[in-house]
Amino acid sequence: MTESAALLQAKEVGVRIGSKPIVADAALTLRAGELVVLVGPNGAGKTTLLRALAGLALASGDIIVQGTPLHHLAPRARAKIIAYLPQGHVFHWPMEVSAVVGLGRQPYADAFSALSPEDRIAVARAMAATTTEPFVGRAVTSLSGGEQARVALARALATEAPILLADEPTASLDPRHQLMVMDILRATAHRGTGVLAILHDLVLASRYADRVLVMQHGRIVADDSPDAALSLDRLASVFGVEAVVADTGSECVPFICRPLPHA
Amino acid sequence: MIGTRRISSLVAALAVLVLLLMLVSLMAGPAPLSPRAVLSALVSGDGVSGLIVRDIRLPRALLAALIGATFGLSGAALQGLLRNPLAEPALFGAPQAAAAGAAFVIAFGLSSATSFAVPVAGIAGSFVATGALLAIAGRRTSLTVTLLAGLAIASFAGACVALILNLAPNPYIALEIAFWLLGSLQDRSMDHVIIAAPFMMASWIVLAAQARAFRALTLGEETAISLGINMRRVRLAVIAGTAMGVGAAVAVVGAIGFVGLVAPHLVRRATGYDPARILLPSALAGAALLLAADIGVRLVPGPVEIKLGVVTALIGVPFFLAIIFSERRMMLETPA
Repeated sequence: MTESAALLQAKEVGVRIGSKPIVADAALTLRAGELVVLVGPNGAGKTTLLRALAGLALASGDIIVQGTPLHHLAPRARAKIIAYLPQGHVFHWPMEVSAVVGLGRQPYADAFSALSPEDRIAVARAMAATTTEPFVGRAVTSLSGGEQARVALARALATEAPILLADEPTASLDPRHQLMVMDILRATAHRGTGVLAILHDLVLASRYADRVLVMQHGRIVADDSPDAALSLDRLASVFGVEAVVADTGSECVPFICRPLPHA
Repeated sequence: MIGTRRISSLVAALAVLVLLLMLVSLMAGPAPLSPRAVLSALVSGDGVSGLIVRDIRLPRALLAALIGATFGLSGAALQGLLRNPLAEPALFGAPQAAAAGAAFVIAFGLSSATSFAVPVAGIAGSFVATGALLAIAGRRTSLTVTLLAGLAIASFAGACVALILNLAPNPYIALEIAFWLLGSLQDRSMDHVIIAAPFMMASWIVLAAQARAFRALTLGEETAISLGINMRRVRLAVIAGTAMGVGAAVAVVGAIGFVGLVAPHLVRRATGYDPARILLPSALAGAALLLAADIGVRLVPGPVEIKLGVVTALIGVPFFLAIIFSERRMMLETPA
């Protein structure tokens, strides 16, 4: 381990589904207080890599979590260290919002899922961070998509795990909700959590990320500052799009113009 | 959040209801008894009323409560596992296989429909089916594969029952099997309670221990795993627990449908749609339902007692439709 603050270190990570390699030779480091964004075209293997890091997909190579190999951690111990927010938000029963957020405390719960005072405090903190308190007592299925996304995020935050892995947390959200979610992720990182999020919106990635990982054909092809990782050349070679750098006055972000004729 | 106090009062109310229905069950029948007569007969056991209460009605009331609770709990557990309000014990083929095992024993004259060998064969049948299910579905497969395998086993067990009826040596035996399949608590003894109760109680423990997992599964299987749930173990526990409990229940009383499906729906809203907190209320609701149905079949005047399985379906279906009707708006919002 090079730095004590490295929460998660992955080396030579590979995932195969059947005989097909989905992720190959992936290496990355996630440190405390860092918001790292993973981008890449559809099918690049982003979700599979994130699932492997969360212990949900069988992977070869080394994944070290707080100094311990991931596969040495018992499921509940792992759940206390890594919070995972999957793509989309699934709520199978119309449970009340606070009960749903309380599910984030499952790794700490007893057999009857009763919440301890510490659990309640964590739930309250998570709901405050996501401004979901107004929905207390409402059935989660009665909320709008953006509100449900915030509740799902609150559930992941309630675990108060040192690592948060989020798979497209801004997917299908309106612009305001996208910014809200990104602000929450940045605030979470500022509190010391290591956050790794998959995004498709390159503007959000360049604006919010401390570091951007670019994935293509199952490999990480860039791991750099947003400007360097999302250079115009790379947008052309990886995403097959022509872009310009737009200067908004306060920041420079990539602006996608058109698909390249052949990628 | 639905208060713990609200759940506690729901549980207390249901428990009182079950006890009251058990008392009524001991009172009702061809020779009606007063509550006082029932209690003194239970304590002293003297005379005709002692015989009626202790040997005839008590096993019946106990079995109704135990079996109803087993169905109610299994239904709630399966609905929690599958995150689907339509799930019920018959999905995995255990009740059908238990029925096939019992029918086999009756058909080949190994016993009469009310003796000891029938429940043993029934329980064996449900275990064979569950073993086959786990062997076919394997250790790591998806729920879809498990469900399809369960469907196949249920159909196969159904075909076995049909084959046994087909090959029955004489029409009386076929009739005996057919009647047994309709489900009844008539003429059951304490022996039946003793053989079935341990399996049912073991299944309660196995299923109730999965409460945490059912709750986490509200967010889907992937998230439940990320929350530290061992899905493979949960799936195995629910399938084996259901087979054990429901297999024992069906083996003793024959096929009784709908309790496992209906009971969770009766208490779902009152428990805040929480798949963990629903377990105990659902078990109590199942016990109350079956006790009430069994009292009902005795109160209906007529030359022959209507079979319990017939009543649970006849009353259960309209009741179920009424619940669906009142809850359809809520269900529309719930992803299937």
